[in-house]
Amino acid sequence: MTIAATATIAPKRRRRLDLNASLVVGLVLTLGFLAVAVVSFVWLPSNPNIPVIKNRMLPPFLPDHWLGTDGLGRDIIAQLMVGARTSILVGAGGASIALFLGTITGLVAAAYGKLADETISRGADIMLSIPGMVTALVLAATMGSGALTTILALSAFFTPSFTRVIRAAAMSVLQEDFITSARLYGRGKLFILARHVIPNIGGVMIVQFTLYFAAGILTEAGLSYLGVGVTRPSISWGMMLNEAQQTVGISSPLAIWPGLAIVFVVLGLNLLGDGLRDVLDPKLKQRRA
Amino acid sequence: MAIYVLRKLAFFLGAVFVASLAIFLLIRAAGGNVAAIVLGKDATAEAINALAHTYGLDRPLPIQYFDWLLNMLHGDLGQSFRTKELVADLVTDRLSISIPLALAGLILGLIIAIPVGTIAARNIGRPSGAFLALVSQIGIAVPVFWAGILLSVLFGVRLGWLPTGGWIDWSESWVGAIRSLVLPVLSLGLIMAAVLIRYVRSAVLDVMNQDYVRTARAVGMTRTQALLNVGLRNAALPIVTIVGLQIAELIGGTVIIEMVFSLPGLSRMILANVAAREVIVVQSTVMLIIVFVIFVNFAVDLLYGILDPRIRNAA
Repeated sequence: MTIAATATIAPKRRRRLDLNASLVVGLVLTLGFLAVAVVSFVWLPSNPNIPVIKNRMLPPFLPDHWLGTDGLGRDIIAQLMVGARTSILVGAGGASIALFLGTITGLVAAAYGKLADETISRGADIMLSIPGMVTALVLAATMGSGALTTILALSAFFTPSFTRVIRAAAMSVLQEDFITSARLYGRGKLFILARHVIPNIGGVMIVQFTLYFAAGILTEAGLSYLGVGVTRPSISWGMMLNEAQQTVGISSPLAIWPGLAIVFVVLGLNLLGDGLRDVLDPKLKQRRA
Repeated sequence: MAIYVLRKLAFFLGAVFVASLAIFLLIRAAGGNVAAIVLGKDATAEAINALAHTYGLDRPLPIQYFDWLLNMLHGDLGQSFRTKELVADLVTDRLSISIPLALAGLILGLIIAIPVGTIAARNIGRPSGAFLALVSQIGIAVPVFWAGILLSVLFGVRLGWLPTGGWIDWSESWVGAIRSLVLPVLSLGLIMAAVLIRYVRSAVLDVMNQDYVRTARAVGMTRTQALLNVGLRNAALPIVTIVGLQIAELIGGTVIIEMVFSLPGLSRMILANVAAREVIVVQSTVMLIIVFVIFVNFAVDLLYGILDPRIRNAA
């Protein structure tokens, strides 16, 4: 069955090559990103939140300030490093909660009968049709902005996508013969889900998490750019871009670095997710192709 | 077909109902004592109660909710506490900016994505196909507001061809209005294109593997002919669906782009009214946007069912 499913247009050799490149580049970018965040806890070039007026607007490539300073004399590298922490906290936080809730709802929809499935699936459809950005604006405005609000907003928007993907994956596993034999052997539903279904959809879960980690970073940057995401003393790349545009005008190099950081990290996670999908689940790749 | 339409209609109404409830609770539960906030610190208790009474804010929440819903159904979106302006007027004023921006952004995105995605699918496994896929991957990673900032640095600051931001109204000067929209549309369109290329590419790839394309090749069409004459027409269906799903994304992008280029569109109106605690304005405006998005998805579903009998019969 898999032989027929994996026969694609491209010569097989070529595809292997693409897939590995995507995985390797994605892994390198992602590990670099994680390493920066870890290092930021033990070493920073200077305090990213304390203004040093005599150092205002230093150009990049100076020995003390590799990428220069902003309009208040704060080091750019230090801010970017602390910004990486925020991206991880909010992006991975939002994706983790969504993964948790999406796994529960997805599995219930797949395994607990037509009524549960209809209710959960239609609910997910409705939530998917609500524009996240507009709702996040309102949420941030009424609950106050901050990392926690942003994480909650992200997990609310992401959960229905996780529900759908995990439901579909679980349903296809539940049709396998070994599930039937487990059931004939007298295993209960919960046991089957925990012991047989979850390990078999682990790849799907990891891929989905990686892709939504990236989406979370993009959304967080957007919300912080609008001024309704995280606020100082936390630092976000989106917030840095907002400050760059407001205090010194968009023509300064300050508007370059945080944007580049976002692109590299999001690109890295997306490549990693795609690469992992190819390695972990060839069938899924075929469906999404 | 009738059953298909009814099912979709029921879903549309259900989605609107759930969304309205969510918006109402989100805004009201976190809003605090609305009348007190609107009137400010120095207001007397009588004034606060009077305002609350005038707007019915002292009634139980469920009654306020159904009242709001019924009024919306009658076309009454409420009014601002402070300026007494009707929400309907506030919204229509801003739409002359937001709609052209979003629509042109989407169209530009499609104009780029359909040919590029098709070429990327056609050239899969070759360097050019891999290159296009990479460009789209990078484009997806670029935040739309950063694209806006970079474009306005290039064309606004460095080259001085176009304004870096601000708005000249249509009534004042057509040319001015269009000039203020060029860069925002370009930013939005490019980012939309990056996302859409991926979908177009996979839709075309799916189609390329179908038997009818093989048949077309067998009767003597070249790969490109088969793709254009038979493939693209069938790929149109999934592409239409994706456009429907991307509407929410498009509106999110429009919100941010309006801020980047200081366009006084819907999103700035919403943000200003959120800050001013104009709950009725925010509630009704956000609801309008959400109904619009759900409606587009509903319309796309119907269209899909009309175009493809397999879908409506399966339902």
